[in-house]
Amino acid sequence: MHFFNVIRWIAWKDLLSELRNRENISSMFFFALIVILIFSFSFSLDPKTSQELMPGIIWIAFGFTGIIGLGKSFLAEVHNDCMEYFQIVPAPKGAIYLGKFAGNALFMLIVEVILFPLFILFFNLDVLEKIPMILLIFVAATIGLSALGTLFSALTVQIRAREVMFPILLLPLAVPIFIGAVEATRGVFSGDPLPLYSDWIKLLVVFDLIFMVVSFWVFEFILDY
Amino acid sequence: MAAIQGIELSKSFQHFQVLNRVSFEVKEGECYALFGPNGAGKTTLLRILATLHRPTGGRFEIGGYDGLRERMKVRESLFLISHGSYLYDDLSVLENIRFAIGLRGGNPTDPQIKRALDRVGIGAFAALKSRHLSAGMKKRLSIAKAMLVRPKVLLLDEAYASLDERGVDMMNAYIREVTQEGMTVFITAHDRAKTAEVAHRAGVLNRGELRELAVSELLTAHALF
Repeated sequence: MHFFNVIRWIAWKDLLSELRNRENISSMFFFALIVILIFSFSFSLDPKTSQELMPGIIWIAFGFTGIIGLGKSFLAEVHNDCMEYFQIVPAPKGAIYLGKFAGNALFMLIVEVILFPLFILFFNLDVLEKIPMILLIFVAATIGLSALGTLFSALTVQIRAREVMFPILLLPLAVPIFIGAVEATRGVFSGDPLPLYSDWIKLLVVFDLIFMVVSFWVFEFILDY
Repeated sequence: MAAIQGIELSKSFQHFQVLNRVSFEVKEGECYALFGPNGAGKTTLLRILATLHRPTGGRFEIGGYDGLRERMKVRESLFLISHGSYLYDDLSVLENIRFAIGLRGGNPTDPQIKRALDRVGIGAFAALKSRHLSAGMKKRLSIAKAMLVRPKVLLLDEAYASLDERGVDMMNAYIREVTQEGMTVFITAHDRAKTAEVAHRAGVLNRGELRELAVSELLTAHALF
């Protein structure tokens, strides 16, 4: 019971702080908006090319947006030594990780859900009936990115070169997530039957599980001696 | 029974030996005051007891639990008031308390929190965001948290730092009350006269060695180190 309460408290604290200062969500949102605008003014895409290119463009925007948000995930903890409180509080460190992960994944999903209609608008995407499957892919990829991002954010938050180190650590390991997300999104956009791209979704789920389990286990060693 | 026991504790940073086989014992319901010059290792010793630093040698027990192998049990037994306030700037005083104690598995009611805040003299600021608190108010808030947690062992680093005269008296009244109830208090301080009002035993840490001294010496000795 205490385990789940810790997750709830951490997620509550992150959501409340974010609602008040909107630091993360606004920087993520405006970055992604700029990406959309640049791509939409750079290409005039016919529907076929659009189907080919859009998955990549969407995941460039979401991926880098995620890096911006996830990289700042533990910054609030640096002030007033709150990271130290996480260390000495008699709470399971894995629960602290899951609480931070839940908050991060939720922020990313909120930004993605707000931005996707803009992609539809700017690039004339005809995907309305495919939205449930697209959302499923968003959720699966966001879980994997947040799982890794939360871990590396905790790992790099106390080092001076954190803004350089965070993407260097995150991006190589996030490659399977990006490949899975782009290929699955392409399958949906092309109108392929599910069996043709379901392996990519399975790949996302498998990497989600691997990253979650490993990060959950490793987090204790990051926080404690 | 010993509530805190340090057995030949050593700690060095790079080649600098801060603690050199320091042994001591603090009984249940005792207030032990540690003095020493700046850089003597008082905070280091306190942080070892709080399970924030791993000693390079020796071991310690808190409430009968091994400080190195049973860290979770040790953390359940103690509460640390240190230089860091462990507060989130975007949360109010009330929310910060709910969060900090929630992570420990506690669930104090609002009237209980209000009572504790009133006792430390910041009841009127319960709804204020913690970023607006002064250092002294943050210290009082930490004491309010300790009142709500009611740990077996209270570790107080620089017990009177940032507190005004009333704050110091309030702190001493609190230490007197909780030690009578059986709580063990371990403090580091510089104010000999104020500390002598509450300490049952005292020690001086200098050049890595701990020397016990009588509380009366706090008032009569020309120089402690």
